[in-house]
Amino acid sequence: MAIQKMKKIEYKVPGGKLLKISAMVESDKIKDIKIHGDFFAYPEESIEKLEVGLKNIPLEESKIREILENSLREVELIGISKEDLLHVLMKLKD
Amino acid sequence: MRFIPLREDNAAMCMAIDEAILLARAENKVPDTLRFYFFTPPAVSIGYFQSAEEEVDFKKVSELKVDVVRRITGGGAVYHDSRNDLTYSIVVSEKNPKIPRNIRESYRVICGAIVSGLSHFGIDAKLAGINDVVVNNKKISGSAQTRKRGVLLQHGTLLIDVNPKIMFSLLKVSDEKIRDKLIKSIEERVTSLKKEIKREIEIDKLIDCLKRGFEETFEEELEEGELTDYEMKLAKKLYEEKYSRREWLFKR
Repeated sequence: MAIQKMKKIEYKVPGGKLLKISAMVESDKIKDIKIHGDFFAYPEESIEKLEVGLKNIPLEESKIREILENSLREVELIGISKEDLLHVLMKLKD
Repeated sequence: MRFIPLREDNAAMCMAIDEAILLARAENKVPDTLRFYFFTPPAVSIGYFQSAEEEVDFKKVSELKVDVVRRITGGGAVYHDSRNDLTYSIVVSEKNPKIPRNIRESYRVICGAIVSGLSHFGIDAKLAGINDVVVNNKKISGSAQTRKRGVLLQHGTLLIDVNPKIMFSLLKVSDEKIRDKLIKSIEERVTSLKKEIKREIEIDKLIDCLKRGFEETFEEELEEGELTDYEMKLAKKLYEEKYSRREWLFKR
């Protein structure tokens, strides 16, 4: 039986804000995720859409990048970037 | 532009009124609006994307009888020390010709109004980073903005007096952040109007100066008004159904 692991990752973006990710991961797949931090995103709901979009996604760089690109198109991020998100999300991998 | 005289409300109500103005503005029921307020009792507000559990020390919060509220705006946790901390909030239609489409640029416009307001008060302030105002390189004001339904809401603090010890006792500070911030302690990085001006701050005078700053920036006169019945009704609803609820506070 696959084991779900709760993972928390914190990343201070150099010259930017703090990104905190809490995720349930099962066999290198995101089962549930919350993206926290003191950053700004416009519109704000885009981050919730991203969280939903990341569910059941295998932790592969190309996959994650694709979802970031799709969910955050036209989104203005301040204090973090898509690359920062990718960097932190890939840290969820064992 | 309408000006709403200084109010003092609890944290949930402060946030409810800000959103009520935004919604009323979106429905074209009220004009662009500037207001000032105090959080009374003192409160911690957390940014929209923050986790309340992770940011706030709730044991200390109940000990000190401080309110906690989640904002609709992003950014970090802020301690609002009642009358030691003046909050401004501005609600403007994105159609206002002074508002750039770009978020960063619009921060500069509105924070610029604070800078020019402070200059009238005899304080030489500057913009720093995306949304900070500094005096002698120390932060004196921080702001957060959201945009919804074609309307911009920006609210921010202006430190009148600063008490980093209380502030830090209420906030959980993560290791990563400590590391970054230990380099310079809050006392070194943050200043207040009292520190800079070395006398008691007359709030009425300060607000008059800030109003002038906004009038110059927006090239528009401020007309004193009051919150409409519609806004107050909306605010009460938002207070009851959103900002005073645990579901909202622990939403993320």
